[in-house]
Amino acid sequence: MEVPRRMSAHVARVGVAGAAALLAVGIAACTSSSGSSTSAPSTSPSSSSSSGSSTTLAGSFGSVPAEASGTQHAGTITVAAPPNSAPTWIMPLITAADNSVFTVPEFDYQMFRPLYWLTDGTQPKEDPAMSLANDPVWSDGDTSVTFTLKSNYKWSDGQPITSQDVLFWYYQLKAALKESPANWAAYTPGLGIPDQVKSITAPNASTITMQLKAAVNPIWFWEDGIGAIQPMPAQTFDVDAAGGKPITDWATNPADATKIYNYLTAASKSVSTYASNPLWQTVDGPYKLSAFNATSGAFTLTPNAAYGGPHATTESTIEFVPFTSDAAEFNAVKAGTVDVGYLPLTDVPQSSTITSAYNEFGYGDWGWSYVTYNFKDTTGNFNNLINKLYIRQALAHLEDEPGYVKAFFYGAGAQGFGPVPATPVSPFAPSNAASNPYPFSTADAASILKANGWTVVPNGTDTCAKPGTGAGECGAGIPAGQKLEWNVIWNTSPSVIGEQVQDWASQAKTVGITMNLSSSNFNYMITNYNDPASPKTINKWAMEDFGGFTDSTYPTTFGVFNSTGSSNIGGYDDPQADKLITASVSSANPSAVTAEAEYLTTQQPSLFQPNPDGGFGTASIVAWSKSVSGTPQSFEGLTQDTWNPEYWFFTK
Amino acid sequence: MIGYILRRIGTSIVVLIGVSIFIFGLLHAIYPSPAIDVLGDRANSALVAAWNKQNGFDDPWFTQYLRYMGNLVRGNLGYSYKLNQGVSALLGEVWARSAWLSGVSLVLSVVIAIPLGVYQAIRRNTFGDYAATGLAFTVYAMPVFFLGLILIQLFALDLHWFSFEGSQSNSLLSIIVDWHAMTLPVVTLTLLTIASFSRYMRSTAMDVMAQDYIKVARAKGLPERLVLLRHLLRNACLPMVTLIGLSIPALLAGNLITETLFNYRGLGLLFYTALGNVDYNVLLAYTLIGAVLTIVGNLVADIALTVADPRIRLA
Repeated sequence: MEVPRRMSAHVARVGVAGAAALLAVGIAACTSSSGSSTSAPSTSPSSSSSSGSSTTLAGSFGSVPAEASGTQHAGTITVAAPPNSAPTWIMPLITAADNSVFTVPEFDYQMFRPLYWLTDGTQPKEDPAMSLANDPVWSDGDTSVTFTLKSNYKWSDGQPITSQDVLFWYYQLKAALKESPANWAAYTPGLGIPDQVKSITAPNASTITMQLKAAVNPIWFWEDGIGAIQPMPAQTFDVDAAGGKPITDWATNPADATKIYNYLTAASKSVSTYASNPLWQTVDGPYKLSAFNATSGAFTLTPNAAYGGPHATTESTIEFVPFTSDAAEFNAVKAGTVDVGYLPLTDVPQSSTITSAYNEFGYGDWGWSYVTYNFKDTTGNFNNLINKLYIRQALAHLEDEPGYVKAFFYGAGAQGFGPVPATPVSPFAPSNAASNPYPFSTADAASILKANGWTVVPNGTDTCAKPGTGAGECGAGIPAGQKLEWNVIWNTSPSVIGEQVQDWASQAKTVGITMNLSSSNFNYMITNYNDPASPKTINKWAMEDFGGFTDSTYPTTFGVFNSTGSSNIGGYDDPQADKLITASVSSANPSAVTAEAEYLTTQQPSLFQPNPDGGFGTASIVAWSKSVSGTPQSFEGLTQDTWNPEYWFFTK
Repeated sequence: MIGYILRRIGTSIVVLIGVSIFIFGLLHAIYPSPAIDVLGDRANSALVAAWNKQNGFDDPWFTQYLRYMGNLVRGNLGYSYKLNQGVSALLGEVWARSAWLSGVSLVLSVVIAIPLGVYQAIRRNTFGDYAATGLAFTVYAMPVFFLGLILIQLFALDLHWFSFEGSQSNSLLSIIVDWHAMTLPVVTLTLLTIASFSRYMRSTAMDVMAQDYIKVARAKGLPERLVLLRHLLRNACLPMVTLIGLSIPALLAGNLITETLFNYRGLGLLFYTALGNVDYNVLLAYTLIGAVLTIVGNLVADIALTVADPRIRLA
């Protein structure tokens, strides 16, 4: 499940489960059999830190050096914060409006850890050492899941993290959703937590059991469900006013749970008091918030001495320094005034100017970029054109992905042929992710059209010459003389979207397809061309390119390509796709999501595009000073907006 | 005089109301509601409708406008859903920073551009005039962003004379004394304004020099220094008063780019961020501030003109 992303507008959202972008599992180890554990192969970042060689990944830009082996030094590590990246929420129950990579993984997770840490560098697999709980154990035909909390993780006030802290979060979630479905970013009505939970119990202080209403896909439920839980310190948060008496009946009295929720959300909206409010100082993450500037969004994290997870031997303070523009940030990198920063995609050609002082690494993030097709647009009979697979295949052949990566991304990106691309490497990637099933070839596009009854007029306008539904005919709903002409609306930011769409349209024209281009912006497009939100405008557009989607590490397209999905913008409706997508969230098959991705790659429900390298919530290359070191995974993870600064230290 | 000022203030209020209706209507037409931004991209139409009803965004736009203006009169500029802060508080935190940057730049521009323009008028078609004209044209033709980048590269990254970014302090006093950080953003804004003002001043000074009273003053044997100071400068500066008044909102717009480039948090950056976020109420407030500054700038210029030239208020 996913949410829309912009490629460089610095508002990249965390995957749909709120926490889900940080959650992943190794598919091979997952099982749905009764009484089994969904354990995943673990690789502790620290375990590979002494490899002594740099990490180079296929498809990456640059490499990550091995962790320095000398003496670690503490200090203040300055980190560049991109424009518009000020955190706007702190309570560990993130609303839809505040769900961004800047508020969640970069800020909130540093203080309030999710139950499971399912990202390991660039890989979607669990790092058990950073998970607060042991792997979940399934039973009763995947309708019951039990997990136990680890004893080494404690709250910063010395209290253990108990099952009551998980229950407290759960009942706060219920109170939140009672007020508005928008109060939890990961909420999907009828699906996952809490709608599919029949009961939740705590047999003892460290064990939680959930009984579900129906069988679910264990991997999906782990990643997008329980993995998103952020335990709250019930013994501190159970009040409805500062200094108020503890309210202990939050599990049985919804009214009291609501009182607590309203108090906590009011405190979370008061951004100017984040650092001063003692409420937010009881944490289980590696850091405490010691300073927060509500005006600029600058904040400082100091090590939490009670943190029970792995970290550098000598811990440093982390200072996030906000910038007003990418240009200002890059100037700071060139001047060497930040320790960890980024090169915006447009500045990648200048990467050599900082190589003497900075390490550089770029890699694609989980998700995909695409041009959305509108299967409901009746203007010019477009709906009857785009529902033909052969037309979608011809359109895919007109996209020069290798050329785009080279010319528009300056090499800092990778091709993507479906919803789960080959880069970043994922255990969920289907076999047809590795090589383009519809490679760039205008000749192939023309051949497909001719073979299906069209008269192809290069640089003119193609027309249907053989109407009908038989072999070699145009297909149902397409009359004789039908033209291949429609409009395409593209997002002006970043410029690479327009560059790709314009090239695609010009290639299409060479085989007689006319695409009338017009530009818009992300917010306008999302507001006006999102079918579920604005059905009245469904005939205003045939294709649109607003960017793409940031994935959860469990890359189902549930919500996007299933016929009833809330983000199914173009109204794609394919029973087979529905069946496969549903299986990804409800079947016991651990390979269900791979089968889903394979089918969609073949069916091309949209034009899948290459993906730029990511990091810092934008299309960018990650850069960090050569005087800062840490586990390779802690730097690789930045490309996935996974933040583990607790592993960083100065080498001198 | 008082009657004249009151009439001008009354006219300005009417203009301001008209501008506010136009801006509100325009923004409302483009973004009828911030619901999607608040509720998230996956909000369905029912959820959006419920939120709109709860927050009054389903009312007719003019009703919403009246509500907004009612709050505005009480000093409430609304709430930024994106930043989880009141707009008044947001503006209050940064306006002084912008005012300082704009104010210093404007004063420096006037102090330099007026004598420069007079010098060019007196020494027209000499090497000095050509050189100043060439520089002014070069700077004037240059986008703010580009000029700033060049200054940063040269004076901050290569020569290390100044900082590549404006002051990051929250204290206005610290900002005022931090010349190392503030020089480049101030110079960027000042150079652009000088380029414009000096050309205008040169032109008006040349016009005045051709007037009979200048010839009479010279014929009387008045020293050239006094001719320039007493007769030319005062008359040549009259159009400049209007220009300076009109440039106040333009400086605000100029700040947007300069603040963004020099990592200097001010009103311009707040607007820029709001633009990216479609932060409804911040956009409204900033645009209205621009309108107020335009009207106030004109008003102040008109009043200053009447003081400088009594014939104007009699007209």
